[in-house]
Amino acid sequence: MTLHFYSKLVTTDSLVEALNELELTDEQRSHLLGIVESSLHHAILDAILSELSDEDKQVFLSYVTEDDHKKIWDFLNKKIDKIEEKISQTAEGLKKELHQDIKETKGN
Amino acid sequence: MGGGAVERQDPDKRNWVDWWLPFSYCPMCYYKAMFFFGKKIAKKKVSHFETLSEKWTARHRGIQEKIWEKHQRALQNFKEKSKQFAASSLAGLMLMASPGVAMTSSAAAATAVKEKPFIDLDKSTSLLLDLQSFLPKTVEPLTKEQEQQIGDLLTTRLGATVSAELNGKRLNRSYGNIGQEQHLARYPGDTIDTHFSSGEDAQKYYEYGMAPGLGAYGYFAKSSSMTEEESSREKYYIAVQTFLAPGYLEHTKEMNEFFAYHKMLVVNPDNGKAIVVVIGDAGPAEWTGKSLGGSPEVMKYLERVDGAQKGPVVYFFVDDPNNTIPLGPVEL
Repeated sequence: MTLHFYSKLVTTDSLVEALNELELTDEQRSHLLGIVESSLHHAILDAILSELSDEDKQVFLSYVTEDDHKKIWDFLNKKIDKIEEKISQTAEGLKKELHQDIKETKGN
Repeated sequence: MGGGAVERQDPDKRNWVDWWLPFSYCPMCYYKAMFFFGKKIAKKKVSHFETLSEKWTARHRGIQEKIWEKHQRALQNFKEKSKQFAASSLAGLMLMASPGVAMTSSAAAATAVKEKPFIDLDKSTSLLLDLQSFLPKTVEPLTKEQEQQIGDLLTTRLGATVSAELNGKRLNRSYGNIGQEQHLARYPGDTIDTHFSSGEDAQKYYEYGMAPGLGAYGYFAKSSSMTEEESSREKYYIAVQTFLAPGYLEHTKEMNEFFAYHKMLVVNPDNGKAIVVVIGDAGPAEWTGKSLGGSPEVMKYLERVDGAQKGPVVYFFVDDPNNTIPLGPVEL
């Protein structure tokens, strides 16, 4: 899985384990994890952008595009209070929904 | 037109007697009816993967739409300012999950490093997500913009021009439900017993039977000593509603010449499976609710053979003037 600037805060281990309990081929598991990764990425970007002014959004997007993690964190820590907590909460919220989906799928 | 379409409505929506009576007089029809209705009646087992994939793809799309709605102005500005995005559409920018889909290969290579934060997914997953972001929520005709976006995406993936319109000609639509067709006679005397080149193929595809009539363009070959290409054309054929194409009534001959055996790329947006095919027949009828039909081999590969016997696909023309692109499954 690609290393993102938020990778230390967000892990998908529990989802991988939950998916391992389903009847899936490696290809199918990889496909689903791809969607998980992308969904988390978009949700986290949304959470961050929602806290920034239009001008700051431009700066943040440019740093994300450069993939400069230090710049991103310096910028976010300066602009958003408790940003790490907000990212974690966003990710946990989505992961909870995804776990629920897996649980429902297993029940069917 | 060629009689190849197995045209059925949802039996749940009609009185079963209406269906049954015509079939009861003909043994072949009886067999067909039992085959299809039996499959329809049988409860379909949905796998964990299908359930989750469908649910999560929809959720992913919702998240994408939300971020786009909330931050449209900022994202639009960023896209316009940023030279590294050669993406031709707003959706292209928002496809942060799949880098470079709307870029030329050289542009993609040049910006590969910079695109890194825009998650590098495996090819099939990124194709699915890209397609889902361009396609409407319901199976309906695409807008010109959507056709352009998807055409650009598929062109990049295939490495040849793929478009909904070619040389000023187009079909009535480029996204619709595909239904099951039967085998077509390839040459005079070709029957279901002579149709398959191997026992394995016969085992897989015998049950679909032969269409009683010929395809819209007649036999695929003059005799059993046909070329590999002629054989492949029947194997990988689709039936499209050529008769509904804009300008068809005014320019029937010219349009038929264009459509006959023209290559198309068909993609199942639910699993990313893609196949290069030819137009080998005209159909199905409008009332079937289907927009095109696929040979048994095409349907099997696309995995569009489920209880409903139909499902949406994207189908675009392939511009291959030198006939260099082989027919059959293709990795995009």
